[in-house]
Amino acid sequence: MFGRLPYRVQIPLGLSLAVLIAAILVTGITARVSAQNARQAILSLLDRAVVLVIAQVRPMMVADDTWRVFALLRDTAELVPGATAGQARLAILDAEGRVFAASDPVQLATGRTLLGKPWRDQPTPDPAAVTQRHQIYRGDGSVVMVDPIRSEDGQTLGFVLTEVDAAVFAPDWPSLAQTALLAIALAVALLVPVGWWVGQRMTRPVERLVAVIERIGKDDPSQLRGAVPATTDPELSRIGDAVNQLMGELEQRKLAEDRALSAERLAAVGRMTAAVAHEINNPLAGLLTATQTLRLHGRSDHIRTRTIDLLDRGLQQIRTTVAALLPQARMEDRPLEPGDLEDIVTLVRVSAGKLDVDIRFGMDVESALRVPSAPLRQVMLNLLLNAMKAAGEKGVVSARLAADETEVTFCVTNNGPPLSAEKFRTTLAAESGRDPRGFGLWVCQELASHLGGRFELDEMQTDQTRLVFQVPNREAPEETT
Amino acid sequence: MKRRECIAGLAAAAVWPTPPAWAARTDRLQIGLTPVILADQLAFLSRWSRYLGAQVGIEVNFVARESYQSILDLLWSGQIDAAWICGYPFVRFEADLNLLAVPLYEGVPLYQAYLIRSADAPDGPRSWGDLKDRVLVYSDPLSNSGWLVAQAQLTHAGVAPRELRRAFFAHGHRNVAEAVAAQLAHAGSIDGYVWETMRLQGMPAAARTEVIWKSEPFGFPPLVTARRATHPHIERLQVALLGMANHPAGRELLVSLNLTGFSAGSSSQFDSIRRQATQVPGSGVTV
Repeated sequence: MFGRLPYRVQIPLGLSLAVLIAAILVTGITARVSAQNARQAILSLLDRAVVLVIAQVRPMMVADDTWRVFALLRDTAELVPGATAGQARLAILDAEGRVFAASDPVQLATGRTLLGKPWRDQPTPDPAAVTQRHQIYRGDGSVVMVDPIRSEDGQTLGFVLTEVDAAVFAPDWPSLAQTALLAIALAVALLVPVGWWVGQRMTRPVERLVAVIERIGKDDPSQLRGAVPATTDPELSRIGDAVNQLMGELEQRKLAEDRALSAERLAAVGRMTAAVAHEINNPLAGLLTATQTLRLHGRSDHIRTRTIDLLDRGLQQIRTTVAALLPQARMEDRPLEPGDLEDIVTLVRVSAGKLDVDIRFGMDVESALRVPSAPLRQVMLNLLLNAMKAAGEKGVVSARLAADETEVTFCVTNNGPPLSAEKFRTTLAAESGRDPRGFGLWVCQELASHLGGRFELDEMQTDQTRLVFQVPNREAPEETT
Repeated sequence: MKRRECIAGLAAAAVWPTPPAWAARTDRLQIGLTPVILADQLAFLSRWSRYLGAQVGIEVNFVARESYQSILDLLWSGQIDAAWICGYPFVRFEADLNLLAVPLYEGVPLYQAYLIRSADAPDGPRSWGDLKDRVLVYSDPLSNSGWLVAQAQLTHAGVAPRELRRAFFAHGHRNVAEAVAAQLAHAGSIDGYVWETMRLQGMPAAARTEVIWKSEPFGFPPLVTARRATHPHIERLQVALLGMANHPAGRELLVSLNLTGFSAGSSSQFDSIRRQATQVPGSGVTV
C-alpha cells in the first residue's frame, strides 16, 4: 500500500514515520537506561544520607538522646525513596548492635539486638567485625548497609543501618510510560510537521522534474530547459542534467528529421521529374519515327492517316502523363483498345531495331475492354522496353494482351537471363525511391496497385523471364482522375 | 525611670553582684514557656502576648525552651521575668520561687499524669508492671507527670529502672505522645492535660495512643517568678492573668489553651507532688 502512494507523499510520510519510530525507540531506551540509573541514584542518595546522619548523630549518641536520634532519622528518611511507603528505613544501632532508634520503630523496635543475629533470614555481621561499610545484597533485590559511627578518636559509637526493599529499585513503569508518551506526543507534534515539510521540500524538485518530463515532446525544448529545477542535491542535479541532455538530443533529432524530410522532398521531386521525363521519353522515339514515316510516305493516304493517328495517340499519352501531375486537371481518358498494343509495339520497334530484338505479340480479347488506355499503354510501353533491354541483342520478346469479363492481363516474356524472384523484389524496392533509371517496373507495380490488380514475376518460368500485369476489367477508380 | 523601678533595680543589684545588662530592662516582660503547654503554636502565643501587653501596659514576650532546666536557668539568670513550669520543679526550688498564677483546668487547678501506649499495638503494656523489658519514654527530668510520677509508679509496681529495656527523655509531652504513637517506645509517661488537649485538637499522635493509667490529681503546673528579682510590672501581669476569664478576648485565649482561667494558687495545692517526690530517690525534694 505504501509503495502505491505517490513519491511526493511517500517521502514526507516516510520521514514522519521515521520520526515517530525514532521517538518511540529513543524514549524506550531512555526509559530503560533511566530505570537502570535509578538504582544507582538511590544508592548514591543513601550514601549521602548516611554521611549526613553520621555527622549529626554523634553528639546525640554521646548524650544518649534517643528522641533526637529518632527525630533525625525520621526527617532524614523523608529524603530516602520509599521511606514514606515503608519500603526503606534507617536505624542507629548502639555499639552492641542494638537498635538505639529507628525511623520505622515498628519494624526495627527500640532495643532489639540486630547485629550478630539473623535478620530477615539472613545472617548479619558481628558488631566487632564491622569496621567499614558492610553491604548485604539479598536475592530479591533489596539492600542492607551497615556503616560504623566512630568518635573522633576512633572509638565505635554505634552503626547506621540502612535497609531498602526491592520495591524501591523496581522501575516505575507507569510513570516512565507516562513520560515516554508525553515525549512521543511532543516529538510527533513538533517533528512530524517538520518532517512533512522537509519531505515536501525534498520532493518539490522531483515534482517539477516530472512535470518537465511529461511536457517533453509537447512543448518547446528551449522553454522546458528553463523549467528544469536548479538544485544543489547531487542526485537531483544528475537527473536534471540527464533531462537536459535528453531534451537536447531530442531537439537534435528533430532537426535531423526536418533536414531528412526536406531532403526526401527534394529527392521525391527529382524522382518525379525523372519519371515524367522517362514516361515522356518512352513514346518520343516512336513518335519521331512516325514523323519520319510521314515525311517519307505521307503521300499515301492510308499511311498518312495511320501515322497521324499514331502521332495523335502518342501525344495524347504524353498529355495524359503530364496531366496526372496536375492535381486540378481532370482529363478524360478513353478505354483501352486492341489497337493500342499495336501502337506500342510500333513505337518500341524503333528501339528493337537497334538491338535486333524480335518482338512478337498476340491478343486474346474476349470481352470489351473497360480499363483506361493511358496507364495500360504506359505499362505496356514500360514492360516492352524493359524486356527488350533484358533480352539483349538477338533476343526475343513476346507480348500478349488477354481480356475477359473480369480481368485484363498483359504478359511480357523475354529470353534474356532469367530474373529471379529475389532480384525482382530487390529491383522493385530499389526503383521505389533510390534508382530512377529503372523506374518502369516500379511504375508498373504502382499502377497495378492503384487499379486494384497485381504485378508479379511468373516464377514457374525458369529459363526465361515472364512478367504479368493483371488488373480488373473495369474503369479506373474515380480518384485517379 | 520611676522610683519604684529604681528601687527594684537597686535591690536586684544587691542580689546579683554583677547584674546582667538585661536586668535593667523593665519596659517589657519575658515569660518562659516549657512543654507543659503546646508552646510551638506561634500565632496563638503572638495573640496572647498582645493581649497581656495591652493589659499590663508594656510589651510582653514569650520565650520557649524544650527543657524545664533551660527555662529555670533563664529565670535564675534574670533573662526572663516569669516562667510556666511544672509542679515538681516548683516544689523542688520553692525557696527561690514565688507563685504567680495557677491555671484552672476544667475549673480546678489540678491535672493528672497518664501512662499511654500505642493504639496500634494490642500486645503492648497494660500497666506499670508490664513495663519490664519494655521501652518507656519520659518527658523531662524535671517533669512531674513526665518523670517523677513514673519513677514512683515503677517503684510501686516493683519494676526497677534497670529492668526496663530502655528509657529515654523526649523533651516534651507532645514528643512523648509521638514517640509512643510511632512505637519508638512501648509506653510513655505524659501530662494528662497536654494529651487531652492534643486529642481535642485532633492531633494524630493522640489519636494513635491510648491511656492505660491515670494518676491522682496533682497541682497544675504553675506560673512562677524568681523570688530574688521581681519585675516591677509583675503584679499587673498577675492581675491580667487572673482576669482573663472575665475578658472576652481572654476567654477566647483560654479556650485555645483548653483552660478555664487562672487562680492565685497556693503552695499547698502541690502537696501531693511534694509527697511523691520525697518517695523518689534523687528527686531533690526532702521532707
